[in-house]
Amino acid sequence: MEQKILIVDDEAHIRMLIEQTLEELEDEGVEFLTAENGEIALDIIQKENPKLVFLDVMMPKMNGMEVCRRVKKELGLNNVFIVLLTAKGQELDRQRGQEVGADVYMTKPFDPEIILTKAKEVLGIE
Amino acid sequence: MARVSLKNIVGKKNEINTAVLALMDQLKKATWIEDENGKLLLGNPTKTPGSSFSVTLDNEIIGWVKGDENSLMIANLLAYLVQKEAEKKKLGTEVLNLYQELNVIYNFSEQLTQTIDPDVIAQLTLEQAIHSIPSHSGVIVLWNEEKKHLAVPARSGEQLFNEEHLRHNPGVLLKIGLSGQSEIITDLSLLKEKGIIENDVHSLIYAAMKVKHRIMGAIILAGKNIEQYSAAHLKLLVTLALQSSTAIESAMLYEKNIREAREREEAMLRIHEVTKKFVPHEFIRSLGKETLTDVKLGDQVEKIVTVLFTDIRDFTTLSEKMTPEENFHFVSSFNARLGPVIRSNNGFINQYLGDSIMAIFPENPEDALRAAVGMQKAVHELNKERKELGLPSIRAGIGMHTGSLIMGITGDEFRMDAATISDTVNTAARIESLTKYYKSPLLLSDHTLQYLNGQNNFQFRHLGSVKLKGKNNLLSIVECINGFEELLFERKLQTLSQFNEAMNLYHDQQFENALQLFQTILTNDPDDLTANYFLTNTKKYLREGVPKNWTGTEEMVSK
Repeated sequence: MEQKILIVDDEAHIRMLIEQTLEELEDEGVEFLTAENGEIALDIIQKENPKLVFLDVMMPKMNGMEVCRRVKKELGLNNVFIVLLTAKGQELDRQRGQEVGADVYMTKPFDPEIILTKAKEVLGIE
Repeated sequence: MARVSLKNIVGKKNEINTAVLALMDQLKKATWIEDENGKLLLGNPTKTPGSSFSVTLDNEIIGWVKGDENSLMIANLLAYLVQKEAEKKKLGTEVLNLYQELNVIYNFSEQLTQTIDPDVIAQLTLEQAIHSIPSHSGVIVLWNEEKKHLAVPARSGEQLFNEEHLRHNPGVLLKIGLSGQSEIITDLSLLKEKGIIENDVHSLIYAAMKVKHRIMGAIILAGKNIEQYSAAHLKLLVTLALQSSTAIESAMLYEKNIREAREREEAMLRIHEVTKKFVPHEFIRSLGKETLTDVKLGDQVEKIVTVLFTDIRDFTTLSEKMTPEENFHFVSSFNARLGPVIRSNNGFINQYLGDSIMAIFPENPEDALRAAVGMQKAVHELNKERKELGLPSIRAGIGMHTGSLIMGITGDEFRMDAATISDTVNTAARIESLTKYYKSPLLLSDHTLQYLNGQNNFQFRHLGSVKLKGKNNLLSIVECINGFEELLFERKLQTLSQFNEAMNLYHDQQFENALQLFQTILTNDPDDLTANYFLTNTKKYLREGVPKNWTGTEEMVSK
């Protein structure tokens, strides 16, 4: 079954790195989608219904917190697993992340091993 | 890692797929694309292909383009696209590795801030190193230049290092590991010869741990494979070594500081303990200070205290018969017996003056009295022992007075001493010397008696008043009889009221009656030397009459 992962970050190298980290999942039939801001992300989530979303917090136009809030609280899409990513030093946002309904909160630079493990767990692989 | 496959490039709906399809459409749809196994990926196959061209990547066939003569062009295009994709993937992997390394260094930095124990830091470092640079075994060695000693604070993995041999071969390590360099070695013959590493180790990687220019030690990892380590591994190990060496250095410095601070503290404590023995702590406390170091010139306090003097009767005669050493020994053991008695009764010894002791009782005159009685008993004990040794008995006199006293620090900047200055001290000393005169071992003034609590367990005999030489005021002298030995005490207790009455008669110049009473007392208690003293006086006054203006007061002609 085709499962989709959406990677949202305004920095191209982060999008590329996360995709690279999860590369082996491609063999399991996982499709990668990317978005560079919150608005596009929201659109893709509604249209493509990805199972897992990596969502950067600091983005122009609409930040990750807002996207998460809309998806979880307004649209009520609870089968979308959201991982919030933020730069180190903004740990206070952890609580805010909980409030907007994020499933997991990670800091950047992210640990590739943890990202891969989490993705496999959410998608039910291996 | 997913291989670059033709399926990924054109098999899925994406930009390339769309473009290639459009291209094939333009070419009259006469070409199609298959994977390496002949499975159709894109396009519509016709029954038999006119041409068939392979698409290769790194000399491996990953697919086919079949159809008309345009197939070649498509095959070349695909080969190019696949090549580019492969390069992109390779770059991506390398960047990811760097990102992972970054993550390692970040986390490691954070871990280092959590601890200040050098051994823990070493262990953390080694574990991180082995985790990021896959190895079969690893150690951290630290070199102590001062003691010329090699320590192994951390080890991990299989037992591929022989620590015994490691420690005993610092020379070998100075070339490998402690050379200040960092490298990957594959020629391990010397190390195996010395038994430092096991024979199944085939590669070694180490990074020097340096602080400024001093070589602190090294992280050494061992692998069983020949090509286990790469340049990237070495770079990471060097970074870890750099981070940990400064952390370990700081931790060791911290430990050293703590140790030194503790030693200083202990030294200070020892000094304080000793100073207490030379300047009584009670004295310093009375000045409102805690330690001798807090005290300054001019510190003083005024207090009502009881001052007590004691000395050894006929000491000069005694000491003539002893050598200086025997003298010192004699006085020392005397002091050693009396000291504890004074202290256990809330008193402190202010000074030793030859055979004399001056003690101060800051709280309650009763303390002084108890101490005095205790001291007399101690002297009785001493005399028992002396008798057994065939030595003559010692007699000690004790005198006390209660009054105001100033305790303070006197002297000058370079020579200070604790001093007690007041009339109270002089008076106490004079009273003590009266013990010879009245032939009584324990005398106090009426002042002391006044300050005493009415309910006390002591019995007193009033000995009239004296006018001390050089003073104008009269002082009433009182004898405490509780220090006498059992028998003598009992007798004095029995004659107590008679004695006090006799003294009243004496004071009123009723010498006839006084005489009779004193004689009765002496009949019952022939050893009552004080009673005898007054009897002698009574007889004298009966014979010669009293001096003019005699008020019952003894005039002390000498101190």
